Amino acid sequence: MTSGERGLKLKGSLTVFFAIYIIALSFIPILHDTFLTQARWAGYGTGAYQYQNQHYFILFNDPYDGSSKPHIHVNPDFAPASRVSLLEFSDWTSWVDDHNLFNEFNVTIRTNPQSLDVTYARPQIVLHKFVEASPDSVKVSFRCDREFKAHLEIWRWVMTSINGMTVKDVPKPLSIAPTTLIEFTFSDDRLQSLGQGSIVLSALPAEMKIWPHEKGFNKITIDFVNSEMSFTVSGSMSSVGIPSLIWSYAMLPSVLPLVAISVVLLYLLVDKYGRTLKNRAAGPSS
Amino acid sequence: MEERSRIVLLALAVRLVLAPFFMHAGDVGTIYESSIMALNGQNMYNFVYARTLQMQNAAGIPVFFEGYAYHPLLVYLFVPFYWLFTLIAGTSPVMIDGHYPSLPALIYPWTPVLLLILKLPIILADLVVVYLLAGIDLRKAKIYAFCPYVIFISVIWGMFDAFVAVFLLASYLTSSRSNALSGFFYGLSLLKLYTIVLLPLYLVRLFGRWRALLEFLGGFALTLLPVAYFLVASPTSIWNVLVTFQGTRLMGGVNMYNFIWVVQDLVFDLVVSWIPNVILLVALVVVVPKFGRRAPLLESILAVMFLYFLFGKVINEQFLVSILPLILLSKECDHRLWIAPFVFIFLRSPAYYFALPILWTSPFFYSFYLQADVLWRQLQAAGYLQIPMYAVGVAFSLAVFWNLMRILRSTQAAVAPDSADSRSIS
Repeated sequence: MTSGERGLKLKGSLTVFFAIYIIALSFIPILHDTFLTQARWAGYGTGAYQYQNQHYFILFNDPYDGSSKPHIHVNPDFAPASRVSLLEFSDWTSWVDDHNLFNEFNVTIRTNPQSLDVTYARPQIVLHKFVEASPDSVKVSFRCDREFKAHLEIWRWVMTSINGMTVKDVPKPLSIAPTTLIEFTFSDDRLQSLGQGSIVLSALPAEMKIWPHEKGFNKITIDFVNSEMSFTVSGSMSSVGIPSLIWSYAMLPSVLPLVAISVVLLYLLVDKYGRTLKNRAAGPSS
Repeated sequence: MEERSRIVLLALAVRLVLAPFFMHAGDVGTIYESSIMALNGQNMYNFVYARTLQMQNAAGIPVFFEGYAYHPLLVYLFVPFYWLFTLIAGTSPVMIDGHYPSLPALIYPWTPVLLLILKLPIILADLVVVYLLAGIDLRKAKIYAFCPYVIFISVIWGMFDAFVAVFLLASYLTSSRSNALSGFFYGLSLLKLYTIVLLPLYLVRLFGRWRALLEFLGGFALTLLPVAYFLVASPTSIWNVLVTFQGTRLMGGVNMYNFIWVVQDLVFDLVVSWIPNVILLVALVVVVPKFGRRAPLLESILAVMFLYFLFGKVINEQFLVSILPLILLSKECDHRLWIAPFVFIFLRSPAYYFALPILWTSPFFYSFYLQADVLWRQLQAAGYLQIPMYAVGVAFSLAVFWNLMRILRSTQAAVAPDSADSRSIS
């Protein structure tokens, strides 16, 4: 075998290796999502965390963002890759002992297999927010070793009804009778579906207010004084129409191998076609 | 006026016109704050390390503050220019914060002046490259001088890979005349650290020629003195910033590894990020001894750098500037490689982000920025940008692979006994 033939064979082998290498790597995201991501907290970026189980996707934003603390999404049974916003707890707009949770506390985040443990510390107070997910619900708990006064804001754009009331009944912000159960409904145009959710409080709050915004309610504010309070959030969706093909970020891992295969095939075609042209130009001697 | 000078002056004019009005806030901000610290005798590695510890404590995962993570010499290339700026504008802050995810507050009218002055050393580096190339081939000098990608990186982004380009080119050009100078310039090319992959190549080439090797190492060692100083002064900080951060950072960039940005699980991502490290090590062990000694230096340098571009885990958009002059000098390579990283810039960062110095001049422009940013974030959140980013990354890797194959084939032909036969087949 001449060195030229050896070179050509080597090039062929390296090209095959490289093509396989690229395509094999492109399957890593889908393998991760299939085998490793279910029902555990995963940190990423500059300190954000996410959790995915069969029914819920939870995002807890990084320490530099006061929104989504956490943001709970529901994965509809009829469109499991879709993530539909269910409720968002906001630190931007929540206060404990009159101190803003985002701007006036030092925050540290840790995980254990069961929950996300977020510690909010100030000289006079250390407060824990735990986020625990189960197949049926997501529980957000506030705990402190002493009693504290809290004003929390829970958001959704938008809830079509809260405890049976719609914006037609409530054109202005309304204080409602404190209760341990809040039920709300919502709709999702993209998925042509209706949703319902509930928040179960572990104790009666001091005050509750619902806030209308154009087509529905966009937030519920809850004031309480306690050393512990938990909010157990659950939700589900049912399809009322035929949703069009919906693209979702969660589908990206499935698309990347297709992209890799397409680009690699294109390269191989161009490489082969280019050489054919060169051979033609070189004539029969090659 | 001779053509060589005309090209240099035109290249200068283009860069001076653009420099005051654009920047990558995070990267220019890092140079600005590091220059202030260096001028005030502060240790920038301590600052970065402290911020990293703060972030890791808050987040509970191994995240790093992305600040000054370069060779200590780098900041001293900017300090004289920053000092010059303080003579004009004083020492009051002009750019306040700007590290991701914050947006900077910019003070006028001084921001454009600061940008122009801080970019002068980068522009000078570009001009030296153009001048050196023009001495070899005017056409190639023109390509570098007016390449949109090079201009964008140097004066719109404000990134300084042109330093690496000029020092690497100088190391190559002086290698036949002075090993000490070649070693010195190579050491300077480490301002951005990634050219460290070339060290085994230089050593293998000089192995056995002990005097030449000693001269090279002598020149190289000179550039390491500032590193030695910081290793004594603040060993933990510089180790964490240069070795731990750079060595264990998440893979990605303009390469086939940016799929990892889709996998939002840092601990897993960091484990997977070792794959390219291992492959790169194996590739270097195979290629450097086999081709490094007998092949021409230019092709050897390019082959090793291409291996790094293929298997190095982090390939940022601007890295290609560093070897573009050498690519232009090689007959085997296609300089249009720059197109992929250039396209990638606008997929990873919105174009308007580079225009903050213009957009921050009026509340009207600022509101335009906010509107555009909402749209951009929606595209990001939906995952629409990740797909073209990945496609461009893979395409760039394949283009690099194609160029590497051409180099290896020509190199093999040059060193093989039946080289004529080999050429006819290729």
